Amino acid sequence: MQLRSLYLSLALTGSAFFAQAEKPPAQIDLSQFQQATQIDNVVVPVPAEIFLVLDKIGNPNWKAEIRDVSLKTGERHQIALLLGTVIADGFVAVEATDRERVKEIGRDVLKLAGAIGVRESVLGRSNSIIEKADKGDWNEVKREFDGALQDVRNAMSELNDDQLAHLVSMGGWLRGTEVLTSVLKKNYSADGADLLHQPQLLSYFRGQIANMPESLRKASLIDQINRRLIEISPLIKTNDISEKSVGEIHTITSDLVKSILQKDA
Amino acid sequence: MKKRFSLLLFIVLLALPALPAVAMVDDAISAAMEAAFPYVKQGYNVREDLWGGDLGVGQEKAITHTLFKGNDYWFFMASDTLAAKVSVHIYDGEGKLVEQETWHKGPSFGARFKPTATGTYYLIVKVDKSPEERTHWALVYGYK
Repeated sequence: MQLRSLYLSLALTGSAFFAQAEKPPAQIDLSQFQQATQIDNVVVPVPAEIFLVLDKIGNPNWKAEIRDVSLKTGERHQIALLLGTVIADGFVAVEATDRERVKEIGRDVLKLAGAIGVRESVLGRSNSIIEKADKGDWNEVKREFDGALQDVRNAMSELNDDQLAHLVSMGGWLRGTEVLTSVLKKNYSADGADLLHQPQLLSYFRGQIANMPESLRKASLIDQINRRLIEISPLIKTNDISEKSVGEIHTITSDLVKSILQKDA
Repeated sequence: MKKRFSLLLFIVLLALPALPAVAMVDDAISAAMEAAFPYVKQGYNVREDLWGGDLGVGQEKAITHTLFKGNDYWFFMASDTLAAKVSVHIYDGEGKLVEQETWHKGPSFGARFKPTATGTYYLIVKVDKSPEERTHWALVYGYK
């Protein structure tokens, strides 16, 4: 009997030990993970992650952030950037619960994806965006925009067009940051400004540009983006980002988003 | 080699003739999404973006992520190898462990983090134990 109790205790102790996760080290040397900054190992957040925080700390007027622009398509790199900005617009329209604008953007995403040869990859998403917007299922619409972003990027990667895939993310980030700074300009808060502290992401985008073929890297629009990202860099190095810096970042990102709209960029 | 997937690609791949390596990562993705599913009901928005690959036992990999103060994140890692143990832990830019909560269940692992400052964080994914030489894994995350 005593032996049975002993075996049972050991078994329970063993199972308890298994259920408890092994404690990870409290401190590690990150230099062993130098590859973490390489392209495939960096997560680019979607605008929805940032907009969610803005909703928690204030009451932004999202309708005021909606833009109505005419989409002109030129070179493929310009279209890829434009597509990224339009997907970001989708997240803004969802925040504003603007049903018709969301549906328009769903159609625009399809049109722009078609212009760079990946229409089929987002056809289902575009239809789903329109359907779910009609139902007012905003969380699902957000998911679909996120999914559209990933589908476009994956389709481009399959076409060995990784550079364009990166530009879609970059365009989304620029437009998302333009909106974030626009909201903060109207109602500055330290907590809101903290959201701009993204130095590694900026460094990642600059790294992507540096890895592009020379012909693409030297394209006027890409060169402009690279130069202006350098201007943003010192402004977001700390968590203590001033109202003045917010204004400067807004000017830079607005200028870049306007340039992306130019067909002959 | 790190691979990135979308759910749509996952569905397309399922329709293709079976390629064992790819099918296994798909199973890992499926397991990761399954781990995330209960959190959708709790209001977490689970991203459509996924990360995956294969690692040797004891091997680690870092994924860099900008996380925003004010959000509440859960990261879910899983393997298709039922007897495997995998983990994901979250470190700040100084290499300090910052996660607030973790759980593991079979070949799945979850880690929660609510940042007190926006910035760059490192998700260290690892295969702790496995009967396989290389173990397929997938990582997804949700936020609210």
